[in-house]
Amino acid sequence: MSRMKKVFICNDNVTSIFSAVYDAWKEERDEGSVGIVLRGNMEQELFCEYIESKEYEKKAIAVERMIQRNLGLDVYLDIYQAVLAHDKDKGNAILGTLLAARQLPDSTKIMNHLSHPSVEKVFELSRRVGGEAHQFKGFLRFRELENGVLFAQIEPKSQVLTCIAGHFSDRLPLENFMIYDRSHKMFVVHEARHQWVLVLDEEADMEKMNRVSASQIEYERLWKGFCESISIKERENLLLQRQNLPLRYRKNVVEFGQ
Amino acid sequence: MNIAEKMSVRDKLNILSDAAKYDVACTSSGTSRSGDGSGMGNCEQSGICHSFSADGRCISLLKVLFTNECVFDCKYCVNRASNDVPRASFTPDEVCTLVMEFYRRNYIEGLFLSSGVMKNPSYTMELIYATLHKLRTECNFQGYIHVKAIPGASQELIAKVGFLADRMSVNLELPTAEGLKLLAPHKTRKSILTPMRLVQNRALENKQEIAVYRNAPRFVPAGQSTQMIIGATPESDYQIMNVAESLYQKFDLKRVFYSAFIHINDDKNLPAKRGEGPPLLREHRLYQADWLLRYYEFEAAELLSEENPNFNVLLDPKCNWALKHLECFPVEVNRADYHTLLRVPGIGYKSASRIVKARRLGTLDFPDLKKMGVVLKRALYFLTCSGKMMYPTRIEEDYITRNLLDVKEKLPGGIAGMSYKQLSLFDDMNFRKEQFIIHEGMKKAPIERMLG
Repeated sequence: MSRMKKVFICNDNVTSIFSAVYDAWKEERDEGSVGIVLRGNMEQELFCEYIESKEYEKKAIAVERMIQRNLGLDVYLDIYQAVLAHDKDKGNAILGTLLAARQLPDSTKIMNHLSHPSVEKVFELSRRVGGEAHQFKGFLRFRELENGVLFAQIEPKSQVLTCIAGHFSDRLPLENFMIYDRSHKMFVVHEARHQWVLVLDEEADMEKMNRVSASQIEYERLWKGFCESISIKERENLLLQRQNLPLRYRKNVVEFGQ
Repeated sequence: MNIAEKMSVRDKLNILSDAAKYDVACTSSGTSRSGDGSGMGNCEQSGICHSFSADGRCISLLKVLFTNECVFDCKYCVNRASNDVPRASFTPDEVCTLVMEFYRRNYIEGLFLSSGVMKNPSYTMELIYATLHKLRTECNFQGYIHVKAIPGASQELIAKVGFLADRMSVNLELPTAEGLKLLAPHKTRKSILTPMRLVQNRALENKQEIAVYRNAPRFVPAGQSTQMIIGATPESDYQIMNVAESLYQKFDLKRVFYSAFIHINDDKNLPAKRGEGPPLLREHRLYQADWLLRYYEFEAAELLSEENPNFNVLLDPKCNWALKHLECFPVEVNRADYHTLLRVPGIGYKSASRIVKARRLGTLDFPDLKKMGVVLKRALYFLTCSGKMMYPTRIEEDYITRNLLDVKEKLPGGIAGMSYKQLSLFDDMNFRKEQFIIHEGMKKAPIERMLG
């Protein structure tokens, strides 16, 4: 072996992972001799050099541009979604995909190359994150607080907030709303007629968030009543209901609360 | 009517959602529309499910009747004129408030508005129009709206409503004209097909308008659908599939929905109540075949015939077709065209297109197929990768049937759990025993297990 494998260590967020991709890319090595691991998920290997990747916005933006320009927006979306996934090996899969794209005559076709293990992994992760985000577009529930603000709490596996924020901002442009990702301690905050913003490392003050408006209680009752009366008794099928709406999604869904 | 006016919104919602539950289509797909920033709502092409009720069906739209008062007397319907049930009517304001408040809390994707026939069809349609007009213009609601066209309503009204809705549907109710005559005396095939044709023609004109003026108002952009009741009348699956096929071809329908007949009323013209529940497995097979028509380039006549008019209870329609056409198999994954791949059991239309794209960049093997979403336990009898089969298998009908039956088919939730007692249902649907494939030399155990 001529050179030791270099492994870059990063944190589990978009900026940090893209920074590590930046560092690894600069090494100009092939897939087997460079890698990325998430902090806290390291299984030390022999003959590896571990390097802390420094997290810089600039590096992340450079990587983002590089992917968008050379691989196109569709591929960027897949890679971006893979970055958000709850998975400890995602760093290597993403790096591997980018390196593999370099080998193709037309790099924009990289996501079709499903017989390549890294590409296949990114494809799978992206699909999983996209799927989870889509589920939350439906299963998320807002509650109207005393001051008229809409508040929703979700507990996703992946960091889906940025995937759904645009959807809700487009849908509710005149509302003040907040979506709180309890698993990752982050918020999306949307002020009426403004762009949404992402707030990281912030916990919700649940006491405040539980002070809902009077009409909220009434609409919750109406909705629960609707969910019951719309079901056909002769077709009752709780197993199918659970296949379609798994228990883990029901935590913050009003019609499944007490 | 007096009662209705004193009723609270909660009681009305209770009655009018309960009365609407037998309508099948709760989908919100087919339109993609961004909000314009001035109101509330947008639409996603794929549609969004917001919840699932205890029967496992998706709740996407606020599905209600405007009123359950009805002058019609359709035998199968809970709201028929001769039934003594509590009656209620919304006002347009009440419907609008419910939609807006539910929508902003993200309970729903939009509104599904149907109605009993109050006074006469045009009067009812007028009320529906008033509601939608208010919702679209005063409340500035830009979410999804599915509306029923009432058979017999004036053409002008139906056309007006179509510009406010995303999807419109007219219920076919029953697969044949005879069935309709028997069970829905106030409706005729003509009164149902007329509005359907109207919506189709108007949508076609609208396409041209949009081609010329990009901002022309859109007429039912998500297309029209219909539904029919399965099992209330003695039609075979073959007849039903033929009806569905001609609806897709001649009326440009987006979807045909099938609704397993549920015993609500006692009537001499309805099948006798026997306590076995609605024919859900049959409904499931029809949906599977419907997908084959819409996405898999099959024709109804390939799946069923006069001599063999009903679907196999034990095998899905695609497997069943493949077993009868073993001369087409095995198919080489790395070479077969998209259309041929579509016909392989275990390969869906998405995985077929993934295969076609991926093999341009490298040769595919079985593990790759698995990752692309191919169900190998079904596909393995019909495929080769670079000339090799996954396991040494025989291309023989009995052999493959036996093996396919050993792999349990994934049926939606409890249909499997409901046991195959369901079969008794098919007895009067002229299912023949021989159809349950009892061939000589087959391993009997799994079949007996399934037949109970």
